[in-house]
Amino acid sequence: MRIVRYNYLSYRGAVSSRSPWSGLEGEIDRLFESALGDFAGASPAGRFPVDLYEDKDNTYVRADLPGIERADIGVELVDGTLNIRATRKTRQGEREESFALNRSVSVPDAAVQTEKISAAYENGVLTVTLPKREETKPRKVTVAVN
Amino acid sequence: MSLLTSLVPSFTRSAAPVAPRESAPTVKPVYDLSETDEGYALSVYLPGVAKDGLELSAESGAITITGRRAWKQPEAWTALYRESADAAYELVLTHDNAVDIDKIKAELRDGVLRVALPKAEALKPRKIAVG
Repeated sequence: MRIVRYNYLSYRGAVSSRSPWSGLEGEIDRLFESALGDFAGASPAGRFPVDLYEDKDNTYVRADLPGIERADIGVELVDGTLNIRATRKTRQGEREESFALNRSVSVPDAAVQTEKISAAYENGVLTVTLPKREETKPRKVTVAVN
Repeated sequence: MSLLTSLVPSFTRSAAPVAPRESAPTVKPVYDLSETDEGYALSVYLPGVAKDGLELSAESGAITITGRRAWKQPEAWTALYRESADAAYELVLTHDNAVDIDKIKAELRDGVLRVALPKAEALKPRKIAVG
């Protein structure tokens, strides 16, 4: 079982001026937003959203990591587990605060060309590209029937 | 019957549903707001948003920040597991004219938007000399 933070999507603007209850619905939406928003602040908890994709040549891991210096991001593959580590330093006037964030994704060693793993950080999103090993790529074998 | 319809206005409206105004779902981003004597400092975490996808507007006592992710999933990619949402980020902060709108400065870097909101002159703390 995995617990994932629920992104509360709001449909603002679609219900206004349509029913006499829209004002009440709007207030209740706001109440839930303020209650759920403070409950699980993404940054202090040290967890960040991660997406997994694949195409026929690579597996991709994308992580939402806004506001991190490239030098503070560490990506390493140890024993079949990909660890993404990041330190977010924030300055509040004279105080400096530092949050550690990390996530691990298990990656079967046999399926990945570990020497060719690359990572790019753009607009606050880290994309790690793991090329698949030749032997594990799906290959079509045509069998002649006698 | 007419008494009932006058009491509950929705009964007189036609049964056909009014076409809802098209607006995509939005997600509220994580943000930090702190205050100093001079103004407010706002940091909004908008991963995946570049300058062209960002809109920042200040009107009628509210500041609205809308951010759209710049990245589109390529055709060949299949999503195996998703935790982030494709929805746009939207944040509305009402300030009731406590902020000097002309002096707002904003900077977007690495998916974090930092906005400096100076307080309106009338609201800055001032010492009053006693004669």
